[in-house]
This record gives sequence, structure tokens and C-alpha cells, in this order.
Amino acid sequence: MIVRYLLAALVAGLFSGVLMTAAQEARVVPLILHAEQFEGGDEAAPATEGATPTTEGAAATHEHSSLGAVLLDMASSLSPVSVAYAHDGEDHEEGGIMFGMSRFSGTLLANLVTGAGFALLLAGFSLVSGHPITVANGALWGAAGWLAVHMLPAIGLPPELPGFPAADLTQRQIWWIAAVVLSAAGLYLLFLKPGIVAKIAGLVLIAAPQVYGAPQPSDISSAVPAVLGAEFAVAALATTLFFWIVLGLSLGFANEKIAKAA
Amino acid sequence: MPDLGKGFPDACTEVVMAVSNTSSITLSASDRLIAGVLALLLGGFLVFGAGLANSAVLHDTAHDTRHSYGFPCH
Repeated sequence: MIVRYLLAALVAGLFSGVLMTAAQEARVVPLILHAEQFEGGDEAAPATEGATPTTEGAAATHEHSSLGAVLLDMASSLSPVSVAYAHDGEDHEEGGIMFGMSRFSGTLLANLVTGAGFALLLAGFSLVSGHPITVANGALWGAAGWLAVHMLPAIGLPPELPGFPAADLTQRQIWWIAAVVLSAAGLYLLFLKPGIVAKIAGLVLIAAPQVYGAPQPSDISSAVPAVLGAEFAVAALATTLFFWIVLGLSLGFANEKIAKAA
Repeated sequence: MPDLGKGFPDACTEVVMAVSNTSSITLSASDRLIAGVLALLLGGFLVFGAGLANSAVLHDTAHDTRHSYGFPCH
């Protein structure tokens, strides 16, 4: 039975990861590619060479509702020529995409892993707290997951485009993990625990990382246009909300299926 | 404590199904806790690997995903 519950979460997570990849390719990835054109200005030859096919794609897809442009962009990202990710000013160890996959396959794989991971975390939270996720309440569970993992941490650290100024990576990651954990605990107290004391404690936990403050960069100038950043922040939050609602619903559905099959 | 989640004889199946209509959790409390903790550990490991791990290969593979999910990146 234990394994069945883990499998239900895996199925829901992989399914949501696939849908999330489609949403990302349509709404988010074109903005990332566009921003990379501004990142670092004149880069080394291999980077520009790799960026050439995407340059046309990104320029065309910037009207990102055009279906043809999205298809064109997906076709170019399916090509085995991987784009160089060299970010200027950083001494990277030798990187590159795993197993020599295309950029799109790498993103798909990462979305599958992330989807399965978030599904397991959501299922684990539900199992430990003893509140089952069903089809009826799945969307609300998903929305709460989105609040804890994306919306509330984004108040301190908004989704960043490549080339955006940012504080030290380790410090930001520590703040981000703390914000996610405290927000999740706060939402649990706020929504699932009765009593006014629990509600107040929940609000205090949610506010704590924001009051403490996220690490901010000292210099906020960037070569990436602000309009791209604004579009990206909205697109990232909207696609992750879509992901979490699909995840909550499909996890509820999978839970009910395995409970019936038991 | 007997393991209530496993090895139901056929005669019990209907009872379990009746229970599962009101609540999708048919595990005993201890099994539920084990499943939950396992799921949290495994999920945390996967999300950490895809979103946060400081490896150039993982970063490059998951690059667009990390940005899209708003993970702190670069």
C-alpha cells in the first residue's frame, strides 16, 4: 500500500511535468531565449554561434500567441545543437547538457523530475498531516502548494531572467528554502488547524521570511529590458500556478483510483 | 500492531471500498506516516537535484526549468 501511494504521486507528477513543459515552451522559454540575447552583450564566438538559430526564433516568438512561431521555436529547440549557457563573469566548471541531449529534452527531463518531486512532497505533506487529497479538494491543495513554493517566496526573490542582477547564490538558495518551508508550515496552520491561535501563528510564520528580507543585489542595473522581466515574472507565476492545479487535481484523481483498487 | 493495510482477505474488500469513498487514505496511521516521510524525503531529493544542486551539468540540463520555476539560479 505504501508503494501504491508513492506511485500515485509519481504518475500525477510526471503527467503534470509533461503539461508544464508545453506551457513553458509556449509562454516562458521564448522570454528566456530573448533575454539571453542581451545577457553579456558580445559573447565568445561559440555562444553566439549557438544562439544564431534561436535568435530568429526568439525574435519571431516574441508575439507569443502566434502558434506558428511557437512551433518554429519548438522545432529549433529540438535540434541536437545545444546552446552554450556560458554566463559571463562566472568561472563555470565544464557543464553541458546531460547525455548530449537537446535543450528541449533537457528541459522536459528536468520538468519530469521536478514534477515528480513536487508531487511526492505534496503527497507526503498530505499523508503526514492526515488530510487526504481528493479530486474535490485537489485544486485547492495545488493552489496552496503554488503559494508556498512560488508566490510567497517570489515576494522576496521574484523569478529571474538570465542576465538579471542577483545576490550571492548560496544565500538566495538558503533564504528560498527557508521561505518555502515556513510558508508551507504557515499555510498548514492557517488552513488546516482550527483555532485563532493557530491562524495567528500561521500568519506570523508566513510573514517571518519576508520581514527578515531576502538577499538583494547591491547593483540592480541590467542589460535585459525591464519589459521582458515583467512579462517573465507573470508568465513564470502563471505557468507554475497551472502546473500546481493540474498536479493537485491529478494527485487527487490518482489517490482515489488506488484507494478503489486496493 | 497488526498491519491493516496489507493482505486483506476477499471478504474484506467491500468494507475497504466503503471506507475509501469517504477518505482516500486506507492506510493505518503508522503506514501513513512511513509513506508520508518516504514521499517527503524522495520528493525533496528530486526537487533539490533538479532545482538547487550546485552541479554544472545539472544546472545546464535544468536551466530553463530552474528559471521557469523561479528557483534561485546563477
